[in-house]
Parts: sequence; structure tokens; C-alpha cells
Amino acid sequence: MTSPPMASNPQRYDMQTLTAAIEQRFGPAVAPSVTDSNGDVCFAVRQPDVLAALSHFLFWEARCAFGGLIVEERDQWNLRYVFRIPRSGWAHFILRLPLETRSVPSISAQVHAADWYEREAEDLFGLDFEGHPRLGDFVLHDQVWQEALTPMRKQFDAQAVDFKKRPRKDWRPALVVQDPGSFAMPVGPVYEGGAAESVHFLLETVGEDVIRALPRLFYNYRAVEKIAEGRPVSDVLLLAERFSATSAFAHSLAFCQAVERALHADVPPRASRLRVALAELERLRRHAGTIAGICHSTALSVSEAHASIIEEQLLRASCQFAGHRYLFGLNRPGGLRRDFDAQTCADLLDAVDNAAAELRKLEERLRYSSSFLDRLEDVGVVSRDSARELDLAGPVGRASGLRNDLRQTCPYSGYENYKFDAPREQEGDGYARLRILFAEAQESIKLIHQALTSMGSGEVSAEIPETWPAAALGWVEAPIGAALHWVRLDRGGLVERYRILSPSFRNWHALHVAVEDFAFQDFPIILATFGLSAAECDR
Amino acid sequence: MELWIGSVLLAFFIVCAAGLILSSLLRESHDTAIIAWFGSVCSILIMAAAAVRLAGGQDFSLDLWVLNGFGPLSLHVDALSAVFLFVAGLVYLSCCIFGSDYLLHRFGGRDSIRRYAVLHFALMASVVIILIAGDALTFLLSWEFMSIVSFFLVNYEHEQQEDANAAFIMLAMSEAGFLAVVLAFLIAGTAASGFSFAALRASAGHLSPAGAWGIFLLGLLGFGVKAGLVPVNFWLPRTYTATPPAFIPILAGVTLNLGIYGILRLNGDLIPSPGIGPGLFALILGSITALVGILYATTENDLKKMLAHSSIENAGIIIAAVGAFLVFRSSNNPVPAAIALTAALYHMVNHSVYKALLFQGAGHIEGSTGVRDMDRLGGLIRVFPTLSVVFLVGSLAIAAIPPFNGFVSEWLTLQTFLRSAVLPSPLVKIVFALCGATLALTAALAVTCFLKSYAMSFLGIRRGDWTPDYVGLARKAKLSMSLLAAACLLLGILPTYVIPALDRAAEPLAGASATAALVPPFFTATQSNQQLPAAFLQDFHNLGAQTGAGLIPGRGMVVLLRGSEQNPVVFAMSPFYAAAALLVLLALTWIIVKRLTRQRSLVLSETWAGGIPRLLPEMTYTATGFSNPVRVVFQAVFRPNIIEDTRETVAVHFRTAIRRRREEIHLVDRLFFQPIGGAVSGLAALLARMHHGRLNAYVGYVVSFLVLVLLLYRLS
Amino acid sequence: MSFWFWYGLRKGIQTTRYPWAPENAPGITPGRPLATEFASDEEASRAAANCPVGAIHANGRRAVVDLRTCVWCERCHFGVANPLQWDTSYEWARTAAERSASAAMPAAFRKSLHVMLVDAGDCGACLHEVKRLNNPLYNMHRLGIFLTATPRAADILLVVGPVSENMRGPLLKTYEAMPEPKRVIAAGTCAITGGVFGRSFMSAGGVGAVLPVDLEIPGDPPPPLSILHGLLIAAGRRTPSAAPEFVGEEG
Repeated sequence: MTSPPMASNPQRYDMQTLTAAIEQRFGPAVAPSVTDSNGDVCFAVRQPDVLAALSHFLFWEARCAFGGLIVEERDQWNLRYVFRIPRSGWAHFILRLPLETRSVPSISAQVHAADWYEREAEDLFGLDFEGHPRLGDFVLHDQVWQEALTPMRKQFDAQAVDFKKRPRKDWRPALVVQDPGSFAMPVGPVYEGGAAESVHFLLETVGEDVIRALPRLFYNYRAVEKIAEGRPVSDVLLLAERFSATSAFAHSLAFCQAVERALHADVPPRASRLRVALAELERLRRHAGTIAGICHSTALSVSEAHASIIEEQLLRASCQFAGHRYLFGLNRPGGLRRDFDAQTCADLLDAVDNAAAELRKLEERLRYSSSFLDRLEDVGVVSRDSARELDLAGPVGRASGLRNDLRQTCPYSGYENYKFDAPREQEGDGYARLRILFAEAQESIKLIHQALTSMGSGEVSAEIPETWPAAALGWVEAPIGAALHWVRLDRGGLVERYRILSPSFRNWHALHVAVEDFAFQDFPIILATFGLSAAECDR
Repeated sequence: MELWIGSVLLAFFIVCAAGLILSSLLRESHDTAIIAWFGSVCSILIMAAAAVRLAGGQDFSLDLWVLNGFGPLSLHVDALSAVFLFVAGLVYLSCCIFGSDYLLHRFGGRDSIRRYAVLHFALMASVVIILIAGDALTFLLSWEFMSIVSFFLVNYEHEQQEDANAAFIMLAMSEAGFLAVVLAFLIAGTAASGFSFAALRASAGHLSPAGAWGIFLLGLLGFGVKAGLVPVNFWLPRTYTATPPAFIPILAGVTLNLGIYGILRLNGDLIPSPGIGPGLFALILGSITALVGILYATTENDLKKMLAHSSIENAGIIIAAVGAFLVFRSSNNPVPAAIALTAALYHMVNHSVYKALLFQGAGHIEGSTGVRDMDRLGGLIRVFPTLSVVFLVGSLAIAAIPPFNGFVSEWLTLQTFLRSAVLPSPLVKIVFALCGATLALTAALAVTCFLKSYAMSFLGIRRGDWTPDYVGLARKAKLSMSLLAAACLLLGILPTYVIPALDRAAEPLAGASATAALVPPFFTATQSNQQLPAAFLQDFHNLGAQTGAGLIPGRGMVVLLRGSEQNPVVFAMSPFYAAAALLVLLALTWIIVKRLTRQRSLVLSETWAGGIPRLLPEMTYTATGFSNPVRVVFQAVFRPNIIEDTRETVAVHFRTAIRRRREEIHLVDRLFFQPIGGAVSGLAALLARMHHGRLNAYVGYVVSFLVLVLLLYRLS
Repeated sequence: MSFWFWYGLRKGIQTTRYPWAPENAPGITPGRPLATEFASDEEASRAAANCPVGAIHANGRRAVVDLRTCVWCERCHFGVANPLQWDTSYEWARTAAERSASAAMPAAFRKSLHVMLVDAGDCGACLHEVKRLNNPLYNMHRLGIFLTATPRAADILLVVGPVSENMRGPLLKTYEAMPEPKRVIAAGTCAITGGVFGRSFMSAGGVGAVLPVDLEIPGDPPPPLSILHGLLIAAGRRTPSAAPEFVGEEG
């Protein structure tokens, strides 16, 4: 899989030069527009056929990152392609089509990272993406659901629970390997005794190595985006928090930031600092858990015990600090729901310092365990080219050399005022991902210190006086990677459309690249080094 | 006694001739019955004659007519012939029944059954004559006849071009081997007064070492064609695959033994080898053959081809044991030599029985489903319940799992290698150790191979889309296969009765009896004597050797190898007691489970597959996948050529097909016949330049040759 | 490799003494809301209105909490005018109302219980809390409780998540693949009543809609000791707690 050739002049673009370049190349087909995105730059795409060339230009020549595809059914189809311009922020490219349109050109050949977004849109909205060779059997599994259900369309009632599912008896998997004697080993959805989340894989093999991995997710699909429609913001905040509870604070923060941007609400500085501290606490805890998972997969029991003790201490520290082990119920649009006194903050800093020392000790020891490193080094390698092609998110992308940390590229909640590193590695193997986890954990501890020390006094929450129809994007660097939440509010302050672009969705797509051409026994280890969450992907 | 044997053999020939004549005269529809009945009677007669000889009779000799210039044609039945005769009879008994059943189902009303029946009886007669021949001419004439009739039987379904090619290769190799054997006999005859076996045996000492070596090599490789030794066995996999299923159990169970008989007769009996060199050569060649055979068998997916490679492996084990026998005999260790030869003969018997059984099973599967590829089979246990049981018995036997017969002969063979401690030279001991290790590796791979073949063909779910023509075994096929399965079991649990019988053949060749060394008379010897010192009896009593003394007649049920004064008993085993203990444990377990689960109900539900709606055939393990580790570890042997390794993509990133195909050329082909064939073709191409069609040059050739001859005549 | 052995020994035993001694370390549980007496009916109603999922009911001056519906959003706890009282307990498991038979397994399973854990649409928190039971601080192995890899060897089916429709089939297959005797435990509010996801075309609204549930463990997520308590009830070593704050059971 080679990337399309580089442009003759790899120029670095910022927002102005990019706008100029777009105007020059795509002329009347793509024009800047001033619409409802509250601070983000928008472009209206007037002709669908220019979409492929435009996305190629943005992704490869302008080196933009692909944020995701947001589909809305209003009086027209609104297809919103979100890109991140380096050093400049978000740009939305909106294609509006009449509702009778059934097909849209696919951009997956140019931007492979868009593959799953288009498949999801086809399954949930019924839009056909021309040129995408593998639509269908994605969210609603063909083996179980009938075709053309399109639950995200307005006419579909989310409470319609008594229709009959019509399973297909003659379903066969789309196997690709044609080697005499190859077969597809099924893994899941219930496997490892349930200690793993519900994901199904078909690993095509001739016996030793995995030649091709065919994942099937959405076993945890609870249609969060659908049931959020028409509910008040405070209810949708609950959904935002709980669709993936291991990154609960990060997602609730993204949602609150989206609402705050939509309603032009300011967040008091004390609240911003506390938000940073809590987000980093969550990141630290989740990274400790991922490290424990990697040690578990390589069966190095004592190190797994050590790492899981560190994680449990952090969970208990979170509970003492914030009243809930997973930091539920803290965010609200406009700030935080509660304040924290100085003693509580000092206790948290002690606990976090303890964790820092323990993690350092653990990392030192693991560095010298050659049998452990043997299972991780040069295993599950994702090359830099593949990582760029698939636009990997989070620590996994950074382990392959990408620069994708939103805290530095698109700072929010005051991150621009803190001093911290976003560590990057080049090898892209399991060991690189492990090193990134340890390094980021130490950076998070530094950030917590910076956030909580000399925190000014003041309010932790600002009231949002009124609400009006508005839409905005909120983003956050969740522990797994960049998470984007898009919210559209209607006149009564209810949520009209809620879209979650989660990092796990992006990284589950890329997992097969890491797993293929490695032995079967490496599959659980590679899976552990990715540290993914099926619930976050499935929503 | 002698007369008894003679008259039984005469009866056999009469019945065989009657069968031949009747099958050619009577109507088609009777032919299968004739094959079954007359063939069974013939087989029983053969077995009776052999049994009488083995039970303690005398050799039987008969001079037939005398040919001018060649000497008398004679027959001679000694113990070695009797052993091979018995095995041939047993296998023929089962195969006549199976063959007639198979032909009935397969060919129905076609006219070719008559041809098959006639050839069948002709082959039976020629096989018996080979085994009872008393002089070289009878032997060679009947051998050639057997080769040709085998060719016709192999070529029976000659409509397929590749089958015809395979049969032709077999014929060509048989003739080449035959030529080598004729040469060997001629060399042997230079020092002898006549061509009878007695004369050849008597004058063996007068041969020069070079002559003796020449006879040995020509005999080993010439007979090795039929036996299946590397490098002259490259015809075997192809031919076995092409042979019709009615005939192949006979090809594998009887004809292969003829090659071993030839080696034993020529190199073991008539012309003893000079020194330990030939024995070592045979040992090494046998071990290599065994390893190559089982490697290709393990990675082979075609049932018949896999069994063919396995035959090569077993032949290698037998020849390795024969090589050990030759080495021990040449270095004056008659008792280990006898043990080695007994092991070789035991393995030959076992191999015939379980290979015939497995081939019958494979033939049945092929006839009913039309599929031989293990990757596409699966789930046969539901289609053929009885076949599953007997095929399992055959697989366990060939994988050398107690209490079946393969275990005993493998155990004996490996034990003879451990006996190499008595040999003088350290180099020879090293060779023995390496060959022993090779055979141990072979045994382990054999377990993998047959585990794979049984599990992938019978268990699991059906992987290909075929439907069986008939479900379940016919009565006759059940009978024939059960007979062989019962033989597998009996030969396994009663080794203490088989070894004395085989020893009658081993003793005259080795010079000592193996019975006393392997199966001492525990039940009858109450106190120590010269052969059974007290320490030995005590040790053996502690092993429970005298359990069942009041119940079981005979020498006891334990096979052992004796050591020194300090260590009287070195190795001992008893499949009989193991089987008995197994039965007792199984019965006990069954009783306990029945008691404990009295109030439980048994629910049969589908296989747990992780919660997916349906487990599809493409999600189950294939035979290729199972044997992949062997393919990967021994890659240097297989050296696959990657024919295709392409990835097709659509829209740059989406893979639609990953195509990989590999081609493997057999090791022997790669190392021997491709270079030789290439050289010969090259030479022929070179010589072809002479044939350019110009008449002047041809005249020139004649003239120059004439001048050359005249010059030579002048100079001499 | 010998380093890790000594390292582990040096770390000593850090396991909790629960269930033989009460565990009171800070942070092991978020606690739960308790029924609270207010000064007036109006305050109780205002307290009840704080709950986004309607788990608080005002009974005169008393506000009671239906733990089966509570999602632990803590909006009744912090930053609100009429907060409810909270405790720091964790022993919340109770037998499901519909079951008349005991939730406990036969006596043979007291000291050896094999648990099949199924993620049926869970958000990840409940699953994570169950997996915490394997870490040295809780260590359910010392009590003879194990997670199995296959339902064929399992006694208890522990389900987390509101049962998304795509997991309904696999969950049923898992249940059918388990031999008798077996019990079903629904851990977490999502598994009991559907939690914040409720009942929709993709969510069955709790395990009770799909399988017969024997034991319910409220919590969002239930802390590890709470789940351990539930498993001990299933093993027959604890009796379910009386929970007067559950709606419909108090006077």
C-alpha cells in the first residue's frame, strides 16, 4: 500500500495559504463559507466530484489530519468533512445534497482513514459511497440484521423495539486469502473468558502467521447518537460520559467544550486548571491500566501485579479526590460541578507522586527483562507510512512518529500555558508503544503538578444564561487519542444532532496492519499494546 | 509334515487355476463372487501351509523339471518364505473380500471385471511362486511375471493419461530393478556350480570382496525399487495414487514385501555381506528413507499419496533394521542380529496389515465421496461410523500407539539400536546412535501425520461440498477391515506368541535364537538355571512377569531385553498387560461415572465457537494448517518454489485477493532425477546433432567405423 | 528472570482481608445515596428533581432512592442545594425480585466458583471493575473464584452492559452453552435496568429482558468489593443484604 506521490513542492500551509491554494485549485467548486461552526473555518463544496481531489490535496499535500465525517439529515444532506490544518485548527468542508440523493463519491481511495466513516454512514444513513468497494455488514451485521434499516434517519423511531430481525442464513465471510489450505480462525465475540471486550475477528491463516485480519466490531453499539437526539444537554452529558467510561472525563470534557463553543460560554480559569488536572489524572490511570494489560498479555505476572496495583491506587485516589473512581459527574457546560479544597488537592498530588515513583521503578525493571522485550520488540510494527495513511490517533500514532497530540497542535482548556512534552518514537512496534505510555504518564504527572499548584481562587462554573440554535465542535486529547464531539442545539436547547468521532474507531481500523504477517501468539500482545476500547468505538 | 505342506500348496495352485479359468469362462456377474470365494480359499490355503512350516515343521523342497543349460527349476519352502507367505495370505484374504465388494459397487456392469479377476489370480500365483522359489531362474521368471501383471493391474483404469504415465513409470523402474537383480544373480553365479539357492549359498565364500559388494548394492537397490528405498522409490507415490483402490492394498501389503523378501534372501541368506560396510550402508539408507518418507507424508494432503509416503517410511524402518542385522551378524553378535532380524520381520508383518487396512479405508472414502484431499473432507465419522472405528485402529497402529501392533515392532527396532553397545568400533556406534535418533524422529512425525489424517478426514465438520454415494460400509467391507483391525490388535497384545514364530525364520540367518533373549519362559521356569540366573528371575518377578501364570499358556506376556549381571533386566514391556489394565480402568471409570451421574441428564448442543451465529467450514482448521509447523521447520528439505504471491487491491487500499501458491519438488527428484535426467537429455541433445539427415555424412559414419574396426583387428 | 520472583516477595502481601474483616481503605467505593429526611415536602421534591434518571422518589418529607435505577451521576451529592446523604458501603447485591429460588449455588460450589464474564454492550467501567478483582489488592483467587475462558466450564454468568442487540445472540448462546447448575448475575445499573441507555432498538434495557437474572449488583460501576460480595452470595457464603431504600420495599 503505497501513498500517492508527494506534491512537487511540499509546501507548508497555514490557514491563509491553504484558503488561497484551495481557491486557486478548486475555484468555484469549493468556496469559504461563513456558517454555523463557531470559530472553525468552513468551506462549502458545491460539486461532489471535486471531493476526491480535494481530500487528496488536503491530506497528502497540505499534510492535514483527517478528523472525521459528520453526516446530518436536515432539509438537505449535510456531509461535513473535518480536517485539521497543521498549526491552524479545524476546517470543515461541507457538502450539501438534496435528500433524494442516494450516492456520494467516496474519498477512501485518497484518504484511507475515511474508510470506516463512509461504511458507518452507509449502514446508518443509507448513503451509497461510490467507489468504496466494501460497503455493508459494518454496524448492523449482515448475518443478523436485514438490509436497509438506516436507523439514523429521522423517520426511524429509536423506541421501535418490536420489529423483527431477519437474519441471513446464507451469509459467508468476505475472505480474501486464496491459498490452498487457508482458513479463517474465528476469535470472539466472547473470548478470553470475557476479560476482553466483545470484538470478533476472522484471522485468515495457513497455520502459523496471520495473513489477514478481518475485524467486526459494533457488538457494543448502543446507538448513543440516535438516542441523544431530542434530549436536553444535561441528559446527553450523561451519555457523553458513559458511552466509554474508561475515558469518561475526556469525553464529557469534549462535549462540554462543544456546548460552550456553541453558546459562546467562557470557562473560569480555576475550572480550566482543574479540568486539566482531572484529564491528566484520567490519562495517567488509563495508561497504568494499559501497561498492566501489556504485562498480562506477555504473562509476566509480577509486573502485571505491580502495574495493576498502581492503577488501583490511582482509582482510589480519584475516588477520594472526586467522589467517583472513574471521575463521573464532574463536568458541566460552563465548568465543573464541584470544587476541591487545598487539602484534597495536596492528597491527590501525594498519590500521584507515589504513582510516578512506582511507574519509574517498573519501567526500569521492564527495560531489563529480555524475555518480556522479546515479545514486544519488532512485533506489531506499524510503519510511519502506514500510520500516516491511516491517520492513527493517540500514543499508537505517536509511537510510529506522527505528531498528533491535540494538546499541542490544537490546545484547549489552557494547555498552551503548560510546559510538557508529547513524546514520539519512530519504530512503531510494541515496545515503542510501551515506552510512549510510560513517558506520557510521567508528563501527565508533571501537568497535574502545574495545574494544581498556585491555582487561583474563584468560581469553578459559569452559568450559561440562554441557549439558541448553534452547532460547534469540541475536541480533546483522550487517553487513546484525539476525540471530537460535534453538537447541534435547537431552539429549545435540546440536542438536535450529536456526533462522536472517537479515537478507538480510528485505531481499530488500523489494528489489522499491525497484526498481519505476525504469528498467532502475538495477536493478543499486539492487541494489548494498542490499548483500545471497543465501547468507545462502538458507541 | 513336508508332504502336508506340499499337498496344501498343490491344492492352492489347483484352486487358483480354477478361479482363473472360471472367471474367464463364466458370466461377468459371477466374477466378483469368484474373486471373493476362490480368493479366500486360496489365501487360507497359503496361510495354512505357512503356519504348518512355522509351527515347527521341516523345509519343503521340490524339484520341478530341468532346463537345458540352466539347471533344475525347484521349489523350496523354508521359514523365511513361510513368514512372508503367511503375511501374503492374510492380506490377500482381506483384500479379496474387500476388492470384490469394491468392484461390485464401482463397476457394476462393465466388462472389465473379467480382466481384473484373471489378472488377480495370476498375480496371486506368481507371488506364491516367488516366495517358494528354490533357485534363481524360477525366482527371476516369476518376478518378471509379477511385475508385468502388476503393471496391468495398476493400469487397470487406463483412461486417465496421468494414471497411464504413472503405471509406465512403475513398469520402467521395475524393469530397471529387475535388471540389477539379474546382474546380481549372475555375479553370484560366477563362483557357483549352478543357480539353485543351495548352490549359491554354498559358494558364497568364494566371491571376491568387490563381487560381494557389487551383489549387495545391486540387490539392495534392485529389490529396493519394489520395497521403496530412496532414491529408487520416486515411482511409488505417483503409482500408488494412480492405482485403483481395489488393487492398492495388495500393492502395498504384498508386493512391497516382495522387495524386502528379495533383499533378505539375496543379501541376508544367500550371499552374506563382507564386513560391516554393507550393513551400515543399508542402515543409513533405511534411516534416510524413513525420514524422507514421513516428512513428505506429514505435509501431504492427499490421503492416498500420504499413505504411499508412509509406506516408504515403513520400508525404510524395515531396511534399517535389516542393516542392523547385517552389522551385528558380520561382527559376530548373533543374538543381537537375531533380535534385529526379528524386529524387521515383525515390522514387515505389521506394516502389511495396517497399511492394507488404511488403504482399504482410503479406497472406500474415495469410492464413496470422490474426494481424497483431506482439506476438503471432514465429518466422515457421521457418514461412516464403522469405518471410523477401523480406520482409527489402523491409524493408532501405524502411529505405534500401544496396545496395537505398531508399538511392538517400533519398540523392538529402537531397542536393537540400543544394542549397538556390543559393537567394537566407536564410529559404528555413532552411526547407530544417529540412525536411532532419526528413527525416533520418524516415529514422532508419524504420530503427527496420522493424527492429522484421522482428525482432518473424520472429525470436525464437512469442509468441501461433496455428498457420499453410499453411507456406511457394506457387510463385506466391514468383514475385511475388521479382520485386519483384529489382526492389528492381536499382533499387538500377543507379541510373545509372534516372536517365537518369527524367530524360526531369523535363527537360520542370524545364527542364534532371539526367543530366549526376548521372551524367556517365565511361566515354566520355576528356578534359576544357566539361561535364567536368580537375579534375573527376581527382577522379573518384581515386574509382574508371572502374573497370570495359571491362566495363560505359554512363555509369559512380557517382552524384554536383557542386560548384564548387575542390571539383569534393562527394558521390558507388555502390551497385553497394558491392554488389560486399560480395559480394567475404562470399565472402572465407566462404572464410577455411571454411578455419579445417575441423576443427570445429558444435553447435546452445538460446539462453542465464541458466540458467533454459526460455525462455518471455512472457520475450521485445515490439514495444511495442522502440518504447517512441520513444513516450516523442515523448509530446507522441502524447498518450496513460490509460484504466486500476489495481492490484488481495489481503490489503492482495499485488498480483494491475496494469492499464494507453492510448488514443491520432491527431494529425491531434486537431488537425483532432475540432474540425471537433465544430464541425459543434454547428452542426447548432443548426440542428436549426429542425426542431421545428410546422407553423405551417414555414409561417412559407416566408412569411418569400418576403418576403425579394421585398424583394431590389425592391432590386436 | 529470578529478579521478578524476589521482587514480588519483597512487595509482601497487600491483599485486603475482606471478607473476613471489613475493608475501610479510602477510595474503594464511591458509596451510595441513602434515604434522607428533609425539613419539608418541598425540599424532598426538589431533591428528587435533581435526579436525571428519576431514581429518587419523594415520599412526604423522605426522599428514597431506587438503587436499581441510580446511575451514580452524583448530582444529588455535590454542588446542589438539597444533597442526599451518602455512605461508604459497598455490599449492595440483592436477589432479583422475580426469582423465588435462592441465588446461591449448591454447597459444592462454596469454595470453588467459575465465572463466565460477558461484555454485552458495557461501557467499559463495569468490565474494568470486574477485572480489578484479579489484581493483588482484591485477589479473588484466594476465595476460589476464577474467570473461565469457556462457558462449558462456568457456573456463573456475570453479565455487564445493557445487552446491545448485536450481543443478544452471543449472550444467549453463552447461556445455553453453560451446564446446570448455573446462575446469572447482572452487575451494574446498565445490566439491571439499562442505565442511561434505557430501552431502545439497540438496547434491551437490562439482562432481565434476555435471560433469567438471579442476582443484581447495583452500581455505576459497582466497585470491585461490591462485585466480590455478589459473587460470595452466589457461592453461598454471604446472604443478600436487606435494602430498605429500594423503592417499594419500605413501609
